[in-house]
Amino acid sequence: MTAVATPQQTKGPQQPSPVAGLKELVTRNMRTSGIYIAFVAIVALFAVLTGGLSLSPRNVTSLVLQYSYILILAIGMVIVIVAGHIDLSVGSVVALTGAIAAILVIQDGRPWWVGAVAALAVGLAIGAWQGFWVAYVGVPAFIVTLAGMLLFRGLTLIVLDNISLSPFGQPYTNVAGGFLNGLLGGNGFDAFTLIIAAIAVVGYAYSQLRARQGRIRYQQTVEAMPLFVVKILAVAAVVMWFAWQLAHERGLPIVLIILAVLIIAYSVVTTRTVFGRHVYAIGGNLAAAQLSGVKVKRVNFWIFVNMGFLAALAGVVFSSRSNGAQPAAGQMFELDAIAACFIGGASVSGGIGRVGGAMVGGLIMAVMSNGMSLMGVNQSWQSVVKGLVLLLAVAYDIYNKRRASAGR
Amino acid sequence: MSGDAQARPAGQTPAPLLALRQVSKSFGAVEALVAVDLEVHAHEVVALVGDNGAGKSTLAKVVAGVLTPDAGLVELDGETVQVPTPSAAHALGIATVFQDLALCENLDVTANLFLGRERMAGGLLAEGEMETQTRATLDALNARIPSVRTPLAQLSAGQRQSVAIARTLIGSPRLVVLDEPTAALSVVQTAEVLMHIERLRDLGLGVVLISHNMNDVRAVADRIVVLRHGRNNGTFDAASASYESIIAAITGASHAGARG
Repeated sequence: MTAVATPQQTKGPQQPSPVAGLKELVTRNMRTSGIYIAFVAIVALFAVLTGGLSLSPRNVTSLVLQYSYILILAIGMVIVIVAGHIDLSVGSVVALTGAIAAILVIQDGRPWWVGAVAALAVGLAIGAWQGFWVAYVGVPAFIVTLAGMLLFRGLTLIVLDNISLSPFGQPYTNVAGGFLNGLLGGNGFDAFTLIIAAIAVVGYAYSQLRARQGRIRYQQTVEAMPLFVVKILAVAAVVMWFAWQLAHERGLPIVLIILAVLIIAYSVVTTRTVFGRHVYAIGGNLAAAQLSGVKVKRVNFWIFVNMGFLAALAGVVFSSRSNGAQPAAGQMFELDAIAACFIGGASVSGGIGRVGGAMVGGLIMAVMSNGMSLMGVNQSWQSVVKGLVLLLAVAYDIYNKRRASAGR
Repeated sequence: MSGDAQARPAGQTPAPLLALRQVSKSFGAVEALVAVDLEVHAHEVVALVGDNGAGKSTLAKVVAGVLTPDAGLVELDGETVQVPTPSAAHALGIATVFQDLALCENLDVTANLFLGRERMAGGLLAEGEMETQTRATLDALNARIPSVRTPLAQLSAGQRQSVAIARTLIGSPRLVVLDEPTAALSVVQTAEVLMHIERLRDLGLGVVLISHNMNDVRAVADRIVVLRHGRNNGTFDAASASYESIIAAITGASHAGARG
């Protein structure tokens, strides 16, 4: 009972029959919703395994704080991957930008925002540097960013003179550790957090309803109305529960606000702007994009500038959270971000992938790491499990694609 | 111009929509085009035929702005123009469907039609406007596409060719160049594409149809221009020329003789 409003497919000799349309709908839904189902299953699994500890207010809050920078990186990374590139340097960029901020704030005693702005500026410059080599010289992104990984790690060591700097102190650490709490009061909980979450839920429901109406107008398949309502209610319940947990702990984390703004902004950029459309075109068929007049070099350049900016933002958040800069900061971050994209449904060959998917992919990684840590599983086994999950996720994606092309 | 099979005597009609004059193009030592002439008028389908390697696709790429000729002139409405890039060609009203389909399979029909010339509203994509125009364009071609939001990956080869041809109509072109549009299509799909080509002519466009399928060419073309080894080798009136004489020109059994 998933499909109604099957389009009028009487025209044309090549139309799939309504039955095939139903099958198609089911498989496509499996492809796009499979990730969400997997996410819920993993959350439930760890809730059981940890005896509910993983869902406690404190743990939910720390989960957000602990993995926010991976999610920020994954937003940029999914755009890079959709365009058919890869970025291996983001971990080193996180370290370098954090180090720059630390030098300015801790060593030179400048205000917190000077450090943050300088870090972002350096991130933009790094992005322009890598974008130049990828877009205008034509060196594959894998090589450019592999070089960048070494280059920026080396620069981090030079900037920090091989030692750790700490602590940043209050204003700077609020970026990753601050909360908005008690703005509107509340009896033992933060009403502000709940109101923000309620606004988010209403906005989500409204945008989903509009999208659904749009699909109906163009005679595309949509899920049945009861199913649609159930979906909205499920999302609303999860969001409100999440807000409830936050409200009973320390309120709304500032970093969560940053993350939410980024997710909404980049969802719009990727789906509703010319730049986003061209990113998908370049990843889907480079030659076609070129012949169609897409300015491929310029788009590729800005993709990397954007990645540099987000890596710097992640650098600020990470250094804020760790309250200092270490020469070894950010190691393996690039792999976590890349894994988040692929688990979230991005295609290895480019052209396919969504910001929302990458976020869920990142959360799956986060919940797994966090859950296993709560259970006392050691790092080595966590690594083994995460590796297997990544492998299975991409294998599932390839299996799906092969089945789709065979069915055509 | 005093070819023995000339269908449209020069001087009798206004300046042609597109005219190539003595166009040459070489790739290293390979002469792909040697002093080629071609005229296309509005309301006319000109078929460009020839064996593999005769220079048909090279000619298409020159017109489309993908390649720049080494020598010779490209004239639009009697005026010499430069076509350095595909965007420049599009700005001049020349739209091209390339042999290897220039479409993105991961994008939907509307996104493909407007790729590289997206409509905007308030900084964002004007999806509604683009969808409406996509639907209108597909209807103008009598193309059968279930939804303008279907990703290309879900369409058949024939439907994709329809989308590729519909794509050329965005931005009101005057000349459409189709490079082997019926290659790799089934009989039904081929018939549909030929119907689209006739629609393009009915809409008042000049059409250059590159093909080596004689049946397709004779079905829709008004004039047939033969290329051989990158040179003109005869121009035929599609209605009156015999199959054998065209084949003879393609294979080199006959020569165009002295041409002006």
